[in-house]
Amino acid sequence: MTLILAICVAVTFAVSIYLMTARELKSIAMGVFLLGHAANLSIIAMSRTPVRHEPQLLKGPPILNASFNPAQPMSQIVDPLPQALILTAIVIGFAVMAFLLSLLVITSRKTGTLSVEVLAREGVEE
Amino acid sequence: MNLSNLIILFIVIPMGTGVLGVLFKYQVGLMRVLGSLSLASTALLAVGLLIHLRSHETGILVTQMGAWPAPYGISVVFDSLSGLLLAASSLVALGCYVHSFSTVSAAAQARYFHPMVQLLMFGVNLAFLTGDLFNLFVSFEIMLMASYCLLTFGGTRLQMTQAYKYVLLNLVGSTIFVIGAGLVYGMTGTLNFADLARFVAERQALGEDLPTGFTALSIALLLVFGLKGAIFPLWFWLPDTYYTANVSIAGLFAGMLTKVGIYAIARTFPMIFAHGGSEATKVVMPILAISAAFTMFLGVLGAVSHHNIRRILAVHVISQVGYMVFGLALMTQIALAGCLFYMIQHMVVKSCLFLCCGIIERHTGTDDLDRSGGLLRRDWYLALVFFIAAMSLVGLPPLSGFFGKLVIIREGWDTRWWLSIFGLLTGALTLLSMLKIWSYCFWSPQAAAVERPAGESPPPGSMRPAYAGATLLVLVALFLGFGAQPVYEIAFRAGEQLADPRDYITAVLGPESLDHLAGRDLRSPAELAAAARREATP
Repeated sequence: MTLILAICVAVTFAVSIYLMTARELKSIAMGVFLLGHAANLSIIAMSRTPVRHEPQLLKGPPILNASFNPAQPMSQIVDPLPQALILTAIVIGFAVMAFLLSLLVITSRKTGTLSVEVLAREGVEE
Repeated sequence: MNLSNLIILFIVIPMGTGVLGVLFKYQVGLMRVLGSLSLASTALLAVGLLIHLRSHETGILVTQMGAWPAPYGISVVFDSLSGLLLAASSLVALGCYVHSFSTVSAAAQARYFHPMVQLLMFGVNLAFLTGDLFNLFVSFEIMLMASYCLLTFGGTRLQMTQAYKYVLLNLVGSTIFVIGAGLVYGMTGTLNFADLARFVAERQALGEDLPTGFTALSIALLLVFGLKGAIFPLWFWLPDTYYTANVSIAGLFAGMLTKVGIYAIARTFPMIFAHGGSEATKVVMPILAISAAFTMFLGVLGAVSHHNIRRILAVHVISQVGYMVFGLALMTQIALAGCLFYMIQHMVVKSCLFLCCGIIERHTGTDDLDRSGGLLRRDWYLALVFFIAAMSLVGLPPLSGFFGKLVIIREGWDTRWWLSIFGLLTGALTLLSMLKIWSYCFWSPQAAAVERPAGESPPPGSMRPAYAGATLLVLVALFLGFGAQPVYEIAFRAGEQLADPRDYITAVLGPESLDHLAGRDLRSPAELAAAARREATP
C-alpha cells in the first residue's frame, strides 16, 4: 500500500511540475493545484506509521494514546491527526484555487492574454 | 482574571472587525473608525502586556485552546519575541491604514478594502502567536489570501500583469510548507514548537542522532520561510509586487510580509531545526550566513541602480532583510536580540518611507526621480519626516537603525567578520541611495510640473490622514531610537528565550516536561561559545 501511495505521489508531482513548466497561465495554475494534491497524498502516506518519541507513551498515534484500548491492536488504528491536517489543507487549497481562477479570468479580460511571455513583456514596458 | 486569556484578543479583534467590515462595507466612515480602533487596541494591548511581562517570572503567557493539554491541542504563546512584533506590526498597520484614507478613494474602499486589511492583520497576529507549525501554515495562508486581494486591489492592467507571479510563487511555497509540516509530523510525531524543541534538545542531551532526513526537512522549510522573507536566491518576486500595489498597501506589505517570513525562521530555527550540534545546524548556519551577505549587498546594489522612489524602497527591503538574516546566522542570544530590534525598527521605518513616497507622488504626480524636485520648499514637514525615516534606515547614531546594526555587526565581528564588513559596506550604500532620493526630490530645483488630467487634482485637506499616518510612524521610529534601552531589554529577553529553549518548553508543556533532562544545558553550541567569549572579554 505504501508503495502504491509513493508511486501515486511521484506521478502527481511529476505531472504537476511538467504542467508548471508551460507558458500558459492556465496550465501553470493546474500544475499548482496538482502540486497541492501531491502534498496531501504524501501526508497520507506518512500517516500510516505514527511515531512518538516519548518512551513513556506507547508507540502509536498521539491523539489516541489518551483513550488507548489495549484490546485493539495498534496496527489497526490510523492516526487521525494527519487527516485533520489534510482536511485543513484541502479547504485552504480550495479557497486559493477559487481566487487564482478568478484572478486569471480578470487578467485575461484586462490584458487579453494568459501567456506568461506576453505578460512579462508588458510588465517591463510599463 | 487570568492574564494569559487576553492574548486571544490579538486574534479575535481583527477577525471580528474583518467580519463586521464585510457586513458594513458601504459605511466607509464607520469602518474607518472601527478599523483604526481595532488596530490601535491590539497595539495598546501588546505594549501593555510587554510592560507587564517585564517583571514576570518567565515572560511567557500561554493559552491552550479548549484546555486541551499542550502537544495535542493548539497552543497560543505570547513571549517577548511575539509581543514586540505584535506591537510593532499593529502600529505599522495603523499608520498605513490611516494613510490609506487619502490614497484609496472612498468608492474603492467600499469594495472590501477594510475587511482585507483586518484579515491581513488577523493572519499576521496569528502567525506571531501560534505555538505550532501547522497553525503557522494556516496563518500564512490567511495572511497571503488577504495580501493577494490587497495586491490586486483596484485591478489595473499593470497590477494584473504582475499579480500572478506573487500568487503562484506563494502557492508553491505553501505547498512545500504543507509537505514540510507533514514530514515533521511523520518524523517526530508532533507539530508543537515546544514539543519539537524538547525532541531536539532530548536528542542532543542524550547524544542520539536526529531522524534521517531532518536536515533535508530543515532546508525545505528554510526555503519556504526564505521565500516569504525574500532572502537571497528567493527575492525576485518582491520588487515587482511592491511596485504595482497601491502605495499605502505597499507600505503595509513592506513592513509586514517579509518580516513574518523572518519571524518564522527566528521562531523555528534557533530552537528547533538548527538547534544544538545536529547535522542540520552545520548545513543551515553557513547557508544563512552566505545568503545574508548576498541579500544585504545585492539588495542595496539594486536600490542604488534604480531611479524611481518606489522601486528603490522596494528593493531596499531586500537589503534590510539581509541584516536580519545576518543576526539569525550568528544564532547567539545577543545577535537574535539585535535581529529582533532591527526587525521592528525596519517595519516602522520602511513603512514610513513608503507613506512619505505616497505623499511625494501626490505632490509631483510621479515617483520618477528625474521628474520630481523642489519639495523641500513646497513641503518642509514632509521633508523632515522623510529625512528622519531615511536616516533611521541608514542607521545614523541617535536614530533607531543604528542600534539594530550596532548590535548585529558587533556580535558578528568575532565569528563572521566578513559578514560584518558586508554589513558596513551595505550601510554606506544605503546612505547613498537615500541621499539620491533626498537630493533629487527635495533639494533639486522644481522640475516641470506633471500635467494632471482635469478633475483629478485632489480636494484640499484630503492628505491630512496621510500626514497623520506618516507622523505616527516617524514618532514610533524616534521612540525606538531615543528609547532603545527599554526596547532592547525586552529584545534581549527574547534572544535569551530563543537561544535557551528551556523557558519556552516549560511554559508551554508544563514545568515537569524537562525533568528527565534535569540540569542539562539546553543552549546551542553557538550560544555557548558566545557566552564563553563574553566571559573572557569583560
